[in-house]
Amino acid sequence: MILYKKPCKPTKFSSIVENKSKYAPPVAVYIKLAWRNLFRNKRRTLLSVLAIGVGIAALIFVDALLIGWKDNMIHTATATFMGQGQVHHKGFLETLEVDKTIDHPGKKINKLKSNPDIQQITCRTRSFGMIASPGNVQSIIINGIDPETEKNMSKLDEAIIKGNFSGKNNGHNKMLIGKKLAEILEVTPGDKVTLTVAQAKTGNTAQEMFRIGGIFEFKVREMDTSMAFIDLHQSQKLLGINKDVHEIAFTFKDITLSTQVNHPVWSLLGYSDIETLSWLELMPELKAMLSWLNVSMLIMTIILFGIVAAGIVNTLFMSLYERMFEFGVLRAVGTRPGNLAFLIVLEAGSLAVISAVAGSVMGAILVYIFSKEGLDYSDTEFVNVAIIDRIYPVMASHQFMIYPLSLILFTMVIGLYPAIHAAKITPAKAMKK
Amino acid sequence: MSNIIINAQSLKKTYKTGMVEVNALNGVDFQVRQKEFTAVAGPSGSGKTTLLNLISGLDTPTSGTVQLNQKEISSMSGAELGDFRRDHIGFIFQSYNLIPVLTVTENIEYIMLLQGIKKNERHRRVKKILSEVGLEGTGNRKPIELSGGQQQRVAIARAIVSRPNIILADEPTANLDSKTGRELLQIMQTLNQKLGITFVFSTHDHMIMSHARRLVWIHDGQIEKDEVREQPCQGG
Repeated sequence: MILYKKPCKPTKFSSIVENKSKYAPPVAVYIKLAWRNLFRNKRRTLLSVLAIGVGIAALIFVDALLIGWKDNMIHTATATFMGQGQVHHKGFLETLEVDKTIDHPGKKINKLKSNPDIQQITCRTRSFGMIASPGNVQSIIINGIDPETEKNMSKLDEAIIKGNFSGKNNGHNKMLIGKKLAEILEVTPGDKVTLTVAQAKTGNTAQEMFRIGGIFEFKVREMDTSMAFIDLHQSQKLLGINKDVHEIAFTFKDITLSTQVNHPVWSLLGYSDIETLSWLELMPELKAMLSWLNVSMLIMTIILFGIVAAGIVNTLFMSLYERMFEFGVLRAVGTRPGNLAFLIVLEAGSLAVISAVAGSVMGAILVYIFSKEGLDYSDTEFVNVAIIDRIYPVMASHQFMIYPLSLILFTMVIGLYPAIHAAKITPAKAMKK
Repeated sequence: MSNIIINAQSLKKTYKTGMVEVNALNGVDFQVRQKEFTAVAGPSGSGKTTLLNLISGLDTPTSGTVQLNQKEISSMSGAELGDFRRDHIGFIFQSYNLIPVLTVTENIEYIMLLQGIKKNERHRRVKKILSEVGLEGTGNRKPIELSGGQQQRVAIARAIVSRPNIILADEPTANLDSKTGRELLQIMQTLNQKLGITFVFSTHDHMIMSHARRLVWIHDGQIEKDEVREQPCQGG
């Protein structure tokens, strides 16, 4: 038998409706409720967190991989041979006309050297030519280079797979040719080839015999098939351009400076017939490729986000609709509709926060591991840029801000639907569910 | 008429199940006066729960009006109705309807939190009420760890702790054994007699019916009989 001792005294009924009591939404208890509800079905919540977290981790990883990929392509494109910026006579790049030279290159080089952002500089000649061996004939682009300065500028030294390139040998000039060109000409290091070029001013042809000093492989078809390198001074003599050059290539101390369109280097030389171009202008196809990568990332983000969103919607709706009865009880005992909606959105937000944290941790681990190991995409070529080095994903702060925060925001917006539904439904109807 | 706190007129409630329409209530007039101890009796599906839901604003009528203290319920917003229930109506449900993730203390405290009652006062009231319903020492347990009778006591504690003027109980003893049912009835009678809390409960438990001062018979959505007894049974 229960003995009822001192019951609570009820308030006067005259205060009904007219005298509303002060209302203080108990946010702390809603947070507690949301949190406990989330762990009510631990297995389901864990699976949801895992599924959503994997989605976030995938987004972070793909983003990091694409940054690494872009960096790799830019580095490969600029470091293979091109450099990050080049100086030419205006119109030279369109025709490779021998006459369109840069005269007094020393002055220009000194001017470039005066800029503290410049790291390496080299001079080159470039012209069309015809190479003939006993086995075949091929039209090529012949590059005259200074082996000493070129060493710091390009990866030519690293690309040599047979022989070497050190100027003259046994009275014959040495030439470096691409692997595929060597196959076409059926030559190996030590074999003789004849190079024919058109000379400046007169347009007369000049011919000289070279011995194959080495064979290089950049793994870029165009370079390996139709490029050859000879000594700068020999090429100047052969082309009849005295001390002039066709190209001054340079690199910056920091590659990001090369994409700054307002950098003083681009207008430093100040000659009306000379142009200074960045790698973005020299390789518009690479620029387009990088834009395409950004679009790809956006599409991938949308798809992955869609998958993650479907998981969230499923979990949230399953969890909320099966508890509609409880929401009815909360409404019955005096919870305002708006506060019930707040509770549900809070619950959705809590799921998103846990998933975002889990996803970020998984993503960070994944990116960290692969940023140490790298991914091997060698032998792959995009827009004449070969992936030579391994691709190392790059961790960036935006990956841990944009994706997790978007997910949390998105989940809370999604959570609004069941929240509004639960807030609008009559308590009696909810309690029948 | 001034002591009428709930006044329902021509209440109709129709539910649609697919193409079929079911009239749960069919033009019911029903008033509740202060301090009444009223049982609404009738067979299953007669409309008892629907009537309780409509007079408390838990559901909306198809037609008819409900006035709470002379204010039309349909003119109240969802928040106003919520506040009204929070401050003036206590609910006891057949299946207890406690929040499973909250402890006994938290379940009882919840309405007081909504009312903005300070922590010390809340704890004082919870402690007191737990002792009054015979549940000392169970404050930190979850509802699932309690028996049906204990859970219904928690539901009663939750219903009365906010000091409501009226308690609506929907078949409160239906899931309890007769001994526990009698104990709960005694609590309800004590609250009614000593504090003047108005009780309206639906039931088909003859023991509860025999203790009601007013017995309203409902059948097929209509009130068949409304009798006021001078000398109902007392005690459990």
